[in-house]
This record gives sequence, C-alpha cells and structure tokens, in this order.
Amino acid sequence: MKPLAWGIGLGILAGLAIMPFFVTSYIVTFTIQIFMWIALAGSWNLISGFTGYVSFGHVAFFGTGAYTAAILILKAGWPWFPAGLAGSVTAAALALIIGYPCLRLRGPYFAIAMLGLNEVVRALVSYFEDLTGGGSGISLPPILSLQPVYYAMGGVALAVFSLTYLIITSRFGLRLLSIREDELAAEVMGIPTARLKLYAFLLSAAGPGIAGGFYAWYASHIEPLGTFPLLTTITMIIMCLFGGKGTVLGPVVGASLLSIFQELVWARFLFVHQAIFGALIVGVVLLMPKGILGVLQERYRLPRTI
Amino acid sequence: MPIYITGPMLLQGVVSGLLAGGLYAMVALGLALVFGVMRVINLAHGTLLMLGSYTTYWLFALYGMNPFLSLFLSFPILFVVGGVLQKVFVHRVVNAPELSSLLLTFGISILIANLAMLGWTSDYRSVEFLTGSFLLGPIALSKPRLVTFGLALAITGLAFLLLNKTKIGKAIRATSQQRDVAQVCGINVRRIDLITFGLGAGLAGVGGSLVSVMFSIFPEMGQVYVFKSFLVIVLGGAGNYPGAFFGGLILGVVEGLASLLLSAQLSEVIAYMLLVIVLLVRPTGLFRGRI
Repeated sequence: MKPLAWGIGLGILAGLAIMPFFVTSYIVTFTIQIFMWIALAGSWNLISGFTGYVSFGHVAFFGTGAYTAAILILKAGWPWFPAGLAGSVTAAALALIIGYPCLRLRGPYFAIAMLGLNEVVRALVSYFEDLTGGGSGISLPPILSLQPVYYAMGGVALAVFSLTYLIITSRFGLRLLSIREDELAAEVMGIPTARLKLYAFLLSAAGPGIAGGFYAWYASHIEPLGTFPLLTTITMIIMCLFGGKGTVLGPVVGASLLSIFQELVWARFLFVHQAIFGALIVGVVLLMPKGILGVLQERYRLPRTI
Repeated sequence: MPIYITGPMLLQGVVSGLLAGGLYAMVALGLALVFGVMRVINLAHGTLLMLGSYTTYWLFALYGMNPFLSLFLSFPILFVVGGVLQKVFVHRVVNAPELSSLLLTFGISILIANLAMLGWTSDYRSVEFLTGSFLLGPIALSKPRLVTFGLALAITGLAFLLLNKTKIGKAIRATSQQRDVAQVCGINVRRIDLITFGLGAGLAGVGGSLVSVMFSIFPEMGQVYVFKSFLVIVLGGAGNYPGAFFGGLILGVVEGLASLLLSAQLSEVIAYMLLVIVLLVRPTGLFRGRI
C-alpha cells in the first residue's frame, strides 16, 4: 500500500509539474486558484482541525501577506518572489500578537475574537492611506507570465500539505490532537498546551501569508474589501470540513472538489451564487460534519495519517 | 489644523453614545438570550435585524404606516421566522461544537441576505419619517435617535419583565443556567429553545425597525450588529442579562468618544481592543455576579 501511495503521489506531482506546458492559460489560472485554496484550507486545518480552536478570521493572515508583498514590491522595489515569502513573516507576527492573548480563550470566544481581528485589520489597512492606498488599494504592474506564479503557488500548497503530514506523524501532532480531544486532561498529562497552540497558530498563519503575497502579485491589484472578505475564511473552512478536518488529504480533496464545483456550477448562476453557497454550508454542516476523508476513514479503517 | 475638544463636545459624544447604546443593548439582549440558553452564537442575528428593517420599510412605503407602530408587526413576524429557523436548522447543532453552529448560522445568514438582494435589490433605501433635532443647551439631540432610544429602553424593560416575572422567563433563565438540571426539573428545554430563539429574532426585528428610521436599509446592513452584539455580551458577562444592558450603553459611549477623539474608522478598532482586554482581564464580564 505504501509504495503504491507514494507512486500515485509522485505521479500526480510530476503531472502537475509539466502541465503548464501543455494546457491553455485558462486551465493554468484555474489550477493556481486550486493551489491557493489548498494552501488556505490546509493552513486553517493546522490550527482548527488539529487543536479544535476555530479560527474565524483566517483571511486576516492572507490579507496581511498580500499587503506586505504589495508594499514591498511597490515601495521598496523588492522582486515578487522574496516579497511574497515575506508575507509569511508579517502574518506570523500578527498571529503572535493576537494568538498570545487570545488562544487562552476557549470555545466561541476565540472564534469571535478572530472574526473581530479580521474587521480590525481591514479597518487599519483602510486607515493608513499613505502606505496602503486606503479604500482604492494598491495596483502592481501586470504579470507577464503565469508559469512562475503557478510553480510558486503550487510550492506553497505542497509545503502546507507536507507540513501537515509531518505534523500529524510527529509527537507535536499527537499533542495537538490531545488538546482537541480534552485540553484539561492534556494539561494534566504535562503537555504545555499554551505553547503548542501558539506554535500551531504561527504555522497556520505563515501559509496564508505567503499565499496572499503571491496572490497580490498574480492579481496585480488589491483593495481592503476584496482582500479581507469573511467569505474567504468561510470558504476555506467549508473546503476543509467537506474534505475532512484533522486529516492530511482532506483539505486537498475538499479544496479541489469545491473549486471544480464552483467553476462548473456556480459560475452559471451568477445571481443566486451566494444563496447556493449558503445552502451548501448548511448541507455540509448538517449532513457530513466529518467530511469525505472522515467517512472513508471510519468505513474502511484507513490509517489516521492520510 | 489642530482640533480642540471642548467640554460640550465631550458631553455630546457621551450623549450620542448613550443614545446609540440603548439600541445596542436591546439587539444584544436577543443574541445574549440565544447564546445563554443554547450556547449558539447566531451569526444570522444581523440578517434577522435586516428583515425587521425591510418589514418597516415596506409597511411605510406601501401603506404609509408609522415606522414606530410597525414594531408591533416586525416583532411577531420575526418571532415566527426565528421559530421556524430553530425548528428546521438550529436545534440540530445545539449540543454540537461551536464550529457547527457558527457555520450553520452563517450559511443561513448569507442565504437570507442573498434572497433579500434578489427580491428587493441591493439599493440603499431609507424611511424618512422623523428628522431634525432638539437643542438642549450646547447639546443637539437628534429626534429619531431620542425616540429610538426611548422605545429601545421600553422594549428592553418589557423583555426583563418577561424574564423576571413570568414562568416562561423563569424557565428561560433556568435553562441558561443549567440545561440538564432544568430538564430534570420538568422544563421542556426544546420548547424553551424555540421560544428563546423566537424572542431573540423578535428583538433583532424590533432593532431593525428602529434602525430603519436612522440609517440606510440594504440586504447586508446587519453584519456590523453581530460583532457589536457579541461585544456587548462579553462586556456584560455571558448569561448575565442585566449586564448585557449596561454593556450596550458602555459600548455606545466608547464608540461615541472614540469617533469624536480619534476617527470614526478607528472606533471599531478601539471597540475590538476593548473586547480583547475584557476577555483577558475579566472573562466573566465587567459585572461579575448578577446584578
């Protein structure tokens, strides 16, 4: 089983690596979107899927990364690649500032504190007009070739995926899961829960930071309303939940399937697009809270580490 | 150009804040009841408020009904809407982890908001009924805000009468204190859930009716109220309903002063910092114990 899984994985990876040379730019653009969602859903999974602390404002890290990269490119003349990577630094810094106090809050309080954080970062971005261009945002030069962004975003998705696998197979991962199952018991067992939650939170903020940085370059225009929508947070949560939270492959499966579904179905119903999404959320929460991977794991006794 | 803050300006900030706070308190009480009884944060609370606003708007635009009288319709209408939502969806997540209830109510919220947009377009609408203001010494009191404040206080008072003096109110308070024990004592907690959700939705609807005479009406108008209401709950302490009332007034004053002294944009940031500080220093709310 194991060599087979590795073979399939490497085959898909090789296929994705040579794909941009053979397909239309529409497909390349679409795949960049999927990569981005895999990175976002996978990162959300690191904190919320593993520890059970629901981050309801994860898009704040994405937006912070996007603004960091855009400002570095425009005002400091950085090349786009290091500017995108720098997005992870500011996103993780924000996660440290907010996670240190707020990860002590349990249950819905943490979720709402994160929801508020997103609104606050957006308000601050709009307020500091000199740096961020206020409500009208920042425009970057249009990109000349999609392929570098394709590989960069693919790299982020792969990194988040690999990180998830490394974590779930490590002691660190087991400790995080123990926090999710019973935090008090974990603490009694001598697990430094506060520190571990913070580490997981920093890791889960770094991925969206870089993805946001590359997104800014790829979209070549960012503004506060489009960069910090609550809907983006919800989308990454639903993708993760649909695939299976707390699993390695879940976010990948969920992000890919829902992106394809979105492209094929929603795009045709422009006006009821959000209503369908609302119904989808209600459906996923009520009918399949464990997600595709969760159901498969239970039914076929698959290992926990997929 | 430096701006000098004078005493009357400060007083004006406090008074405007208090007037806004009365409304926050009433809307937040609805969210607090649902949260207290079911541990569900209803992210659709603001959307229900929006439905209340549209109720008032249509009654005013089509039949010329006095917006302040339409409260008597928006409350029962939203009570029924809330009851249906609870019966069909929300009761399934009452004992589930918070992720389920947050996502579920968010899904309901964008579903309703989107349908409202389809049906009524996303144009900004307004109910121009009462304008102008009284002058009281150096302070200007806007008439619609004053009337709204009075009505919000009266309705909050009625809600407290219901909570404190009636059997149903007692059952609601008991369920929010200890769900299991309440059930053992013979309270039908499912029925209490239903009534509470209806009551919460009704209060949101009344809030919407009152908001509609002051601000523009559009399908996504309600979003800001969810976070503000939650902030009020935290200030007052979860499950402490009188605390929520004072929490609303405090939030109003803080916002009023912040937009006077700093900028209206930053008042949200100040309110958020207030939330984080209170959660960290006094997670049980500013009014520990019951008032």
